[in-house]
Amino acid sequence: MIPGFAMLVLFKIGPVFAMVISLQDYSAAQGVLGSRWVALDNYIRVFKDPYILTIVKNTLILAVLSIVVVFPLPIIFSLFLNEVRRKWVHSAVQALSFLPYFISAAVMVSITYTLLSPSYGIVNEVIVACGGTAINFMAKPSWFRPIYVILEIWQTFGYSSIIYLASMTAIDLEIYEAAEVDGANRWSKMVHVTLPSILPSVIVMLIISVGNIFTVNLDRILLMYNPSVYPTADVIQTYVYRIAFQSTGFPDYSYGTSVNVLKSLIAFALVVGVNKLAAKFAETRLF
Amino acid sequence: MKYSRSDKAFDAMNSAALLLIAALCVYPFLYVLFLAMSDGKYLSRGEVTFLPKGASLEAFRYILANPRFNVLSGLTNSFLYTIVGTLVSIFCTYITAFVLSRTRFRHRNWIMSFFIITWVFEAGIIPQYIVYSRFGFVDNPAVMIIPGAINVQFLIIARSFLESVPKELEEAAFVDGANDWVILTRIFVPLSSTIIATLGTFYAVSIWNQYLIPQIYLKSSGLQTVQQVLKNVVITDSASGTTFRNLIQNGIILNQQNLKSAAIFISMLPIVCVYPFVMKYFKKGIMIGAVKG
Repeated sequence: MIPGFAMLVLFKIGPVFAMVISLQDYSAAQGVLGSRWVALDNYIRVFKDPYILTIVKNTLILAVLSIVVVFPLPIIFSLFLNEVRRKWVHSAVQALSFLPYFISAAVMVSITYTLLSPSYGIVNEVIVACGGTAINFMAKPSWFRPIYVILEIWQTFGYSSIIYLASMTAIDLEIYEAAEVDGANRWSKMVHVTLPSILPSVIVMLIISVGNIFTVNLDRILLMYNPSVYPTADVIQTYVYRIAFQSTGFPDYSYGTSVNVLKSLIAFALVVGVNKLAAKFAETRLF
Repeated sequence: MKYSRSDKAFDAMNSAALLLIAALCVYPFLYVLFLAMSDGKYLSRGEVTFLPKGASLEAFRYILANPRFNVLSGLTNSFLYTIVGTLVSIFCTYITAFVLSRTRFRHRNWIMSFFIITWVFEAGIIPQYIVYSRFGFVDNPAVMIIPGAINVQFLIIARSFLESVPKELEEAAFVDGANDWVILTRIFVPLSSTIIATLGTFYAVSIWNQYLIPQIYLKSSGLQTVQQVLKNVVITDSASGTTFRNLIQNGIILNQQNLKSAAIFISMLPIVCVYPFVMKYFKKGIMIGAVKG
């Protein structure tokens, strides 16, 4: 127990207390106890910073795209996969589509760079062969969101499908037989039997994604990130990262922490609220 | 169920379409392998679309042998961090989950809620950096092993498994005079091989794939992980394109395309090799997690 408790205190609760630096004019030389207290000055600065609006907007757009575009695909995919009768097809499809979930963001983004490179990437070779001009995808702000979303789909849809397929195996076969007696064909069975049966899992997954609306795939963005795509790629967490670790001169730790604290508070409220909703509608709690 | 002709046709079409989608998911990985195996002279002419042309393993040999790229040291470091980190994490998580699953332990609920609160309410990377740098984690490989040794999500999964073990076993041993340590090692650990394997694969994959933590804390190139090396070799270099010059090695032209592809493929190879295990235990983990939520 002692190692676990020490870790809780040192590495999990410790940083929570260190958040007080958002109320200070923190300097690394004086430490947390020696720095000057400035009350809510840093928070007032957050609300006056015009750039905050951009990063909040970028964060929310990525989240909404993830819910609207990425979320429905594994549901459709697993509905069709559930209809497959040949066992080897079933397991081969699952195994192949699940693999990208375990591949690191660095590998995924590196592959993206390789495929999209303006000088040798296969995508641009095809574009040029069709008479177009090569596009430097990774430097264009307008391409950042589509690429991010495609990577999100590639990486997560196999994983989500497995969750839905697991809840499909729990469906009682008698329901299908009853539906057949009533003259239901394949489509009506899919839509009226399978889909409603996995609805609780769908709701739970949806609730989780809404709760995580402020959570982006930080690794992926930091790897895809360069100053030319900041207009669309800069989100709350990358902004904080930049303030802390990429600034020239003394990093403004206090200001960065203030931005982060506000984000964490909203995210915390969302997750707690959403957990209540889940308890109410799906009779499952997330924690 | 009856099989009509239209059913068979649907089944064939459906299977074909799904297999195609699944193949598309892994094709980029294979494509990178094919690029890495191809001779640069075909690559520069844009002639490699599917199978490798002029196949050889020169690109792999060169990128591993050349210390300038740090690929080999990145791999070694990542292996080391992953193995040690996984063992430490399994130990810490399992012990903590065990204590927190005992109903005799009165403080278990509030301690668990603290874990959950720190999980849901993130302090953020800056306060974390301030605390961790005080502990001397900057440029210290321990940062890959110690602070992350208890992942709250995995702790919940382990705890809900240990709670499901029948109480009678423990009580019987208690009557026979066994202490907590004996109960843990003689009764619970032998019953837990699945959950331990599940935790192991969870941790191993997540440590291997980590990017943000090493990027913040491990600055000197001798300590960097393979993910950081990849970022330097493939991504940062895409912008500048200065590291690579074409060269001929044993009659094979090596250029940035096959060398970068080799680096990418090498860094995902370990995950691909353990993937059958990982998939098996991840599925189990999802199920345990799904039952309890």
